[in-house]
Amino acid sequence: MNGMHGIIFSYEKRNDLRELGEIRSSASIPFGGRYRAVDFALSNLVNAGVTDVGVVLHGRYQSMLDHLGTGKVWDLSRKRGGLRMLPPFNYQENWGVMPFRGKIEALAGVRTYLDEIRQDYVALMDGDLVVNLPMTDIYESHVKSGADITVVCGNDSFATDNGTYFEMNREGRVTDVLYNLHTPRGYRGLEVYILSKKLLCEIVDECTAKDQFSWRKALQMRKDTLYLRSYIWGGFAAQIRSVQEYYDRSMQLLDPAIRAELFTPERPIRAKGADKPSTYIGPNGVCLNSLVADGCRIEGTVENSILFPGVVVEAGAAVRNCVLFKEVIVRRDAEMAHIIADKDVEVLEGRTLMGHSSYPIVLEKGSVV
Amino acid sequence: MKKECIAMLLAGGQGSRLYVLTGDMAKPAVPFGGKYRIIDFPLSNCTNSGIDTVGVLTQYRPLELNSYIGSGQPWDLDGSTGGVHILPPYQGSKGGTWYKGTANAIYQNIGFIDLYDPEYVVILSGDHIYKMDYSKMVKRHEEANAACTISVMEVPWDEASRFGIMSVDGDDMITEFAEKPKEPKSNLASMGIYVFSWQALRKYLTEDEANPDSENDFGKNVIPAMLNNGERMAAYRFDGYWKDVGTLVSLWDANMDMLSPESGLDLTDESWPIYARSVNAPPTFLGRNAKVTHSAFNRGSDIDGVVENSVLSPNVVVSEGARVSYSVLLPGTVVEPGAVVEYAILGEGCRIGRDCRVGGTPEATAPAPWGLTVLAPGCVLEDGKRVAPGIMLNRNGEEVSK
Repeated sequence: MNGMHGIIFSYEKRNDLRELGEIRSSASIPFGGRYRAVDFALSNLVNAGVTDVGVVLHGRYQSMLDHLGTGKVWDLSRKRGGLRMLPPFNYQENWGVMPFRGKIEALAGVRTYLDEIRQDYVALMDGDLVVNLPMTDIYESHVKSGADITVVCGNDSFATDNGTYFEMNREGRVTDVLYNLHTPRGYRGLEVYILSKKLLCEIVDECTAKDQFSWRKALQMRKDTLYLRSYIWGGFAAQIRSVQEYYDRSMQLLDPAIRAELFTPERPIRAKGADKPSTYIGPNGVCLNSLVADGCRIEGTVENSILFPGVVVEAGAAVRNCVLFKEVIVRRDAEMAHIIADKDVEVLEGRTLMGHSSYPIVLEKGSVV
Repeated sequence: MKKECIAMLLAGGQGSRLYVLTGDMAKPAVPFGGKYRIIDFPLSNCTNSGIDTVGVLTQYRPLELNSYIGSGQPWDLDGSTGGVHILPPYQGSKGGTWYKGTANAIYQNIGFIDLYDPEYVVILSGDHIYKMDYSKMVKRHEEANAACTISVMEVPWDEASRFGIMSVDGDDMITEFAEKPKEPKSNLASMGIYVFSWQALRKYLTEDEANPDSENDFGKNVIPAMLNNGERMAAYRFDGYWKDVGTLVSLWDANMDMLSPESGLDLTDESWPIYARSVNAPPTFLGRNAKVTHSAFNRGSDIDGVVENSVLSPNVVVSEGARVSYSVLLPGTVVEPGAVVEYAILGEGCRIGRDCRVGGTPEATAPAPWGLTVLAPGCVLEDGKRVAPGIMLNRNGEEVSK
């Protein structure tokens, strides 16, 4: 299938990621022991045979550029098409100086790129969505249904920060587009859309002419004139927009059923490999109910935690219910629980750090405690 | 284009002493250390030493090795000039032959080496686990103004008769070479790593090829011929970790050495990374019943049993109630509940059924003869089966002799 083009949004947005979001966009946040959030969107597209993907960038995108490289990991380093980085290049007035106010503005910022798309259909995805969608199936049912836009929704009304919700009739046609809800209702939108290139360009141009920047507002206004059709995804789908959601969703990965679904071998999630040796657990190390990446050294105790590559837990130290990013060092006899420690954090000997599942503490990148 | 130095990696051997493990692949492609293949060591050493052109001579079952090396990208050996090249034997207008010996393999590829017109050629083996800076050895070669430099290491005197032994003078220039001497005059053993000045090697290879009595082997023919002709031959002393993993026991030993950096094999040192083509899999999950001690594992595994003093490759399953001790599990092996695996090497994709017993400890086996238990890749054991210590099974679960 080569009829679909991918566009992934990885620009800075208002979110509640605290220290985790200060140095990166939410799409490049590490997740699941060895991934970045954007790996999921990229892999979803590539697994459906998509060969051309544009990543819309704006603000704090150094970490994203480092991560994506030439796109080789996803087989997107190609002679024709492949991976394209899209910082805002169609400057009008002050565009590109201020953060994007919405997807339409982001697309208008790369408007000439849209003209060059070779495929008839475009899939729009958010980079902060952690999911393993059967995009082939979604694309095929979009084409078959004759819908103008397919809207992918989770099978829940889960409250996500700044979420979009859809109501629909029995046939699956969207009847309402809701956001800024006090109490979420309807189906949670995963911010995954499929539509034709032609319609996408029309909507972007029309909205730009009226200084409308919000994609969901555009959908709301067109719900009666366009056929918006829903596709309900019943599996795991996390939108990483707050520390709490990040933590809760990470801990869900300790459930084998959720891992089996998110990491189904039929649609593998590809990620950049770290050149690290195997993980080593020492003679007195204990490691239970945890997800552990390569290159770690565990001499102490680790329980109910997620360890990224190169984490060191020294003898006598105890790590419980934590998410430890790359190269975090927990020195002797330190104790920590309900902590999210960013890259290169060092927790010194004998320190005690306790968060709570309802308020996980974030340790900033590189900090020494 | 001219290159100062290129490497030629001898990777054609069958590795017959690894028996069933090399039934379908050449020895350099055998998995090691939970993440690597043996060939990752010389390839990474090349790239870390600044050698960007490597010819890999393949002959025996090259499919696995070829697809593993691919474009050479994991080792940064995919540059536009040089890079890694697979060199199988080929037919010319006057016919062609298999590689008859190590020297003949290089002889048949004189054309390849001439493309780069190098000053020096480093000859490497594809069956050693070690980290070595070849640029230091080349420097020693240059400074000694030698035609050939051989890396050597001191071995225990009582083992010296198993190696090619060098006698040296006060400047560490080689005066004598004896292949597996009964009464060794020195304990400096050749590691099978050579640097040659290309013009000298080219001449000796051509002469060696013309000699119908020659076995076309570096150690047996070319090195002695150079020494007899009075060429300057330098020794390069190496004192780091080095192991020839040509036997099942040495392969198992080297895996165990990796667990204890005191052995000298420290793969965590970031100044000399060993690169590998990694599989894509999620991180490993350790369940609530997992008890993993003094062991290493890699991605994609699911461990809910006991693992002690063992090395696990990617995508391994050790189920609840199973125990794996002092063993090396190659990729994709599954150990079902209640099974016990001790002192064993399990080939890729083995499946050990419920309550099986594979291998045993030397203590429990005594006084009966003891040995490592080895299962060929793809071997499936039905529930409750016992495989005694020292036994080797082929893919169909039939016993074969070592």
